[in-house]
Amino acid sequence: MTKILINGRETDVPPDFTLLQAAESVGIEVPRFCFHERLSVAGNCRMCLMEVKGSPKPVASCAWTVRDCRPGPNGEPPEIFTATPTVKKARKGVLEFLLINHPLDCPICDQGGECDLQDETIAYGMDHNRFYENKRAVEDKYLGPLVKTSMNRCIQCTRCVRFLAEVAGVPELGATGRSEDMEITTYLEAALTSELQGNVIDLCPVGALTSKPYAFKARPWELEHTESVDVMDAVGSNIRVDTRGPAVMRILPRLNEELNEEWITDKTRFHWDGLATQRLDRSYVRVDGKLQPASWPEAFRAVAAKLDGVPGSRIAALAGDLATAEEMFALGLLMDRLGSPNLDSRQDGTKLDPALGRASYLFNPSVDGIEDADCVLIVGSNPRTEASLLNTRVRKRWRTAGVRVGMIGAEVDLTYPYEYLGAGPASLAAIERGEGDFAAALRAAKKPVVLVGQGALTRPDGQAVLAAAARLAAGDRADGWNGLGVLHHAAARVGGLDVGFVPRAGGLGTNGIVQAAVGGRLDVLFLLGADELPSGTLGPTFVVYIGSHGDAGAHRADVILPGAAYTEKNGTYVNTEGRVQLAKRAAFPPGEAREDWAVLRALSDVIGHRLPFDSFEALRAAMHKAVPHLAQVDVLPKLGPESLASLGRLGGELGREAFRNAIADYYLTNPIARASKTMAECSAMAVGMLQAAE
Amino acid sequence: MKAFLLQFFTWWNGQTLGTRFYTWRKGKLVGTDEAGNKYYRDPKTDRRWVIYNGVAEASRVPPGWYGWIRHQTDVPPPEETYVPREWQKPHLPNLTGTPQAYRPPGSLRNPQPRPTVAGDYEPWRP
Ligand code: SF4
Ligand code: FES
Repeated sequence: MTKILINGRETDVPPDFTLLQAAESVGIEVPRFCFHERLSVAGNCRMCLMEVKGSPKPVASCAWTVRDCRPGPNGEPPEIFTATPTVKKARKGVLEFLLINHPLDCPICDQGGECDLQDETIAYGMDHNRFYENKRAVEDKYLGPLVKTSMNRCIQCTRCVRFLAEVAGVPELGATGRSEDMEITTYLEAALTSELQGNVIDLCPVGALTSKPYAFKARPWELEHTESVDVMDAVGSNIRVDTRGPAVMRILPRLNEELNEEWITDKTRFHWDGLATQRLDRSYVRVDGKLQPASWPEAFRAVAAKLDGVPGSRIAALAGDLATAEEMFALGLLMDRLGSPNLDSRQDGTKLDPALGRASYLFNPSVDGIEDADCVLIVGSNPRTEASLLNTRVRKRWRTAGVRVGMIGAEVDLTYPYEYLGAGPASLAAIERGEGDFAAALRAAKKPVVLVGQGALTRPDGQAVLAAAARLAAGDRADGWNGLGVLHHAAARVGGLDVGFVPRAGGLGTNGIVQAAVGGRLDVLFLLGADELPSGTLGPTFVVYIGSHGDAGAHRADVILPGAAYTEKNGTYVNTEGRVQLAKRAAFPPGEAREDWAVLRALSDVIGHRLPFDSFEALRAAMHKAVPHLAQVDVLPKLGPESLASLGRLGGELGREAFRNAIADYYLTNPIARASKTMAECSAMAVGMLQAAE
Repeated sequence: MKAFLLQFFTWWNGQTLGTRFYTWRKGKLVGTDEAGNKYYRDPKTDRRWVIYNGVAEASRVPPGWYGWIRHQTDVPPPEETYVPREWQKPHLPNLTGTPQAYRPPGSLRNPQPRPTVAGDYEPWRP
């Protein structure tokens, strides 16, 4: 800690703080354009000027650390000033220079109302213009279907360049030319390929980079904000859903240091147009092979007629990737009342089982914990597509500490270098036997992360892979460190395992249910937003689909009960770390659609097995009673390594086949994303790019 | 007689008496456009003006004369070989305030349905 005087007030700050951070730590706001907490320091906008005693000129406080300040002649602590007339005048001058070439676009600029330049101009701007020369003109660049550019507005802060190079790891933007001729460009007029590119829109302090799908759709002050969580992957990024009336207009990240920092993936940011397309807004009943619109009572009666007299063993239920824990809990209760043991929330057939304990299916090291990791082994996963923000953490760890990363599975670009150890379970076994350099490093590591993807767990030998991973994670580790990280990519999966939406004793799992349906051994199948089923046919089974989008499930359904998308209902989601988070309702479901729990409750009444709750609160309370840890919202479960030993003893033969990654098309992993035009465009581009590369 | 009364009492039909007097004193006729509007110029001050053939409505100045009357060009259309492009449309008078005024679809006075906007959703149909 170093003593420093800020505006005459003495404070103690760490010597590696910049003056800007030091000032901020005592509550002084410093204007800045180029400085960003999570990016390297560029120091090129000069907006953060401050006066340092003894320095003849004002200094850029974002690039000047406390350590750099010299003490006074008699050893007094260094002194800085943030509000003197000199500072004010210097900042005013800087801003005037920035505005020489900034167009007067505010009325037609999407950044208007949330623009750093506007805000600083209010505080430091000149009231008139002293420049009558022409402003410079810069050609707009093409950056793909997500980021719109208006390069006249760029103030060359280079935040976008630094973000893509440092955080996203795809250095695709750069600057050409100098001083007035400096331009931000991709050099090749090619679309950005990062799955995090949307964040440059938030980073850009002016309106040079804006959202293309959202262009000219709304003004920030018309929007209502709802804090929620993302369901596009299992990281559970914290988001803010901006709505205008009934429509979701955009999705922005919310700060959560432990999870998504302040980034979100493109799928999260841009899938919102899918919330307004392909919506199920009324019930349907299949009559003579054709789906006919029906009222709610008619649809319920059709289900009730079908269920009449059917034994429980011929009924089954599957939950999809976006279902909330409450819905699955309610559907589980209903299945119990119907006497059916056949229910599963593991649509992809993963071999994880809640009976093995909670630590067996969570990402135990935690996303934040990756920043302490000293060795990372990735098994059968491409974290870049399955959990992009988790991947940026590994990348961050690699950048700051050069962590060793090993990879078993398909060889993919993770944006950081890794040691490729092999393609299949054989390599896993080899590491276990201690063969090779990496095995030694993993054994010696105090805080290793063994990241197991669903690509390795959905195979027939999934449990054996899990056991091998547990054995690798166990050993002489730091206190309480559980290095087994099971990576999910479906937002509902952990919630489903937590509420126990898995086969009851003697019941069928996903594969069994599908086979039974095809084989005609099943009469009624409930699909709670389950659209990822392996075979679209499901035999002669009577399928009841409860969901929000007209996707695979709805096409096959015999009765459709329209439900709500995740922005239209309250609900609990549990992310891959086991962190319980609440999604809040931002809009109402369209048409006659209702929240899914209410649909289940109403249906249960008609079929004569009334569920014991009348309100969402009662349902949630019942769920909390049955599964107490779901009441601990926003708490990271710290599960120690105790269960690793028993997990490691799980039997099973490792297969020979190479691991395949779980996600084939990053942009189209769930019904909402598949309904989104933006995502379809991105997917087409990504596929095109792959073909071009091959 | 009617023309005189109109000139005397209204300002929106052709010219007023003052303009007539001014034109008589200073104006030099430069040309007449296809709608019959007459264009004058004061050779001394280079002041340019138009006397409409009928209602005085600024949008009735055709594109060819537009440039001349606003001093963008000094050559009046009759003296240059100006040919209108084939995509140029005939003049459409300003209909604001008349029953033919533009009403966007979805307006109370337009039976056409409102176009879908951001707030609407696209339902799925089997
Ligand atoms: S485009 Fe925006 S973020 Fe990038 S350098 Fe210009 S102002 Fe900064
Ligand atoms: S914020 Fe310090 S120079 Fe830009």
